[in-house]
Amino acid sequence: MVKRLLRRFWVERQIWILVIPMLIWVFTFSYLPIYGLIIAFQNFIPGNSYLAGPWVGLDNFVRFFDIPEFGNIMRNTIAMSLLTMAFSLPGPIILALMFSELRGRRIKKFTQTVSYIPYFISWVVVTNILFTFLRTEGVFNELLQSLGLTNKPILFLGEGKFYWIMIALANLWKDVGFNTIIYLSAIAAVDSELYEAGRIDGLGRFGLVWHITLPGIRTTIVLLWILGLGGILNAGFEQHLLLGNPMTREYYEVIDTYVYRYGVQLGNYSFGAAVGLMKSVLGVALVVLVNRLSRKILDTSIF
Amino acid sequence: MSTRPKATIPSLIFDIFNYTFMFGIVVLFLYPFVNLMAISLNEGNDAMRGGIYFWPRKFSLGAYELLAQNPKMAQGFMWSVLRVVVGTSTSLFVTGLLAFVITNQRFSGRKFLRTLFFVTMYFNGGLIPTYLLMLKLGLTDTFLVYIVPGLFNVYFMLLMSSYFQNIPDAIFDSARIDGASEFRIYLRIVMPIAVPVYAAVSIYSAVAHWNSWFDVVLYNPSGAFDTLQVLLRRILLEVEGIGLIRDQQLLYHKFSSLTPLTLNAATTMVVVLPVLLVYPFLQKYFIGGLTIGSVKG
Repeated sequence: MVKRLLRRFWVERQIWILVIPMLIWVFTFSYLPIYGLIIAFQNFIPGNSYLAGPWVGLDNFVRFFDIPEFGNIMRNTIAMSLLTMAFSLPGPIILALMFSELRGRRIKKFTQTVSYIPYFISWVVVTNILFTFLRTEGVFNELLQSLGLTNKPILFLGEGKFYWIMIALANLWKDVGFNTIIYLSAIAAVDSELYEAGRIDGLGRFGLVWHITLPGIRTTIVLLWILGLGGILNAGFEQHLLLGNPMTREYYEVIDTYVYRYGVQLGNYSFGAAVGLMKSVLGVALVVLVNRLSRKILDTSIF
Repeated sequence: MSTRPKATIPSLIFDIFNYTFMFGIVVLFLYPFVNLMAISLNEGNDAMRGGIYFWPRKFSLGAYELLAQNPKMAQGFMWSVLRVVVGTSTSLFVTGLLAFVITNQRFSGRKFLRTLFFVTMYFNGGLIPTYLLMLKLGLTDTFLVYIVPGLFNVYFMLLMSSYFQNIPDAIFDSARIDGASEFRIYLRIVMPIAVPVYAAVSIYSAVAHWNSWFDVVLYNPSGAFDTLQVLLRRILLEVEGIGLIRDQQLLYHKFSSLTPLTLNAATTMVVVLPVLLVYPFLQKYFIGGLTIGSVKG
């Protein structure tokens, strides 16, 4: 047995030589951090070994529920996720349908190309655009004033009450065009004979979309929505670090930014790791749950 | 896709609505850049008053001149470019090599490696353990922290291996009979054949490197390896912007009217233009890459 393995290894030595350095890489950068999560169960002191302790069991996990910001953080995370989903789940479907109903080839290509742009722009730039656009002398405030909708400039980014909707719209702006790609390829894959048959049965343009296109891309829709709902605790990260400011603090702090601020910046490594771990475990559980629900109700699932 | 339906009145109304909607979409996605461009080309104090929409009111290249003369910006630009070039090429080479290995039918460790890699798609240590690891490895405050952790990417590997699977094995076998080593096969056969998938992945990788901001903040607090994105952020926060302007004003009178607003707009244009200019030409590649992934999973 051992001899056979060694022999196999010898035959494949060329490949193993290529693979072994990368195996070391994968263990270091992908598996060591997973192992590093054990600090969530101790009060880890930087510089010590991961096994040095002192071990505290689930204390760090329980403590998260007792911190004064807990309610705010959970509210912001879930509210911003839901608000983003309300725009960003149906948004690309509607846009993709609109694209596919355009008649000219050129205009189709041009509008699609333009709509992909924001996906390739960094959050730093997107927030810069927002700050420039929405400042008191910015274009948007001037437009509102000239339309007589307001008589003094509104501080869209300086007030907490606007923050959630600003984030949801920024997320939509950034990703909606790019997310049409997957729907457009699903629409293109719908059997064209179905459209012929539909037309013979007397379906008009809107009937074809409603009875043939939409059912045809149903699986794609459900799959993407399961993943979306499963990610409800991922309420964004960079955009909050960049767009949030002390005045909107109460509205922007989400689980991920809290882990960064409290865990990394203030050096509470064990506590931060515990919060992060709890979030990922809940996230996986949510995907499984939504997937099961969808299999029962809609008869479609990802696994 | 649907062929042309009969032109009924509701259908016509919809067409008009759709074209109007598309016009709105184009404005929504392009105008912010036009506006920033106009502000960046305007004289500083004048721009603060607002009211600039499509064209600069008082034309001035001052902001760009300052950026061109500033050594910090030049350095940031260099680190950004270096990061994109080195990061993308090494990541493509290594990830492609592993994709090749796990599609190699003759390799007995194939299944084991696949499992090992796929696990990392669903489980990772998260922010804090990763941060502690970088500290421990001494990667913080080095340029390498941009490159090494990104050498291998599971998603890219999936895209690449699904492409490689369609290359007929006979090609590899005949090369092996001719005595080519596996590494040589990868270099001389796989890479040239699979150019489209390399192109697709390189776009995503390059854009990610160019746009990256948080890892610079997290791992390079010293500022020695600041990229353009980080500098842009600082200028927005005005700390850097005001300092930069004051220093230059002491030296040159011509910068006397610069403000953080125009400087910020100009820096944004410098960061954005390379992406805007390059990406329309690469469109067929990045869409191709995405659809390979969605069909094959």
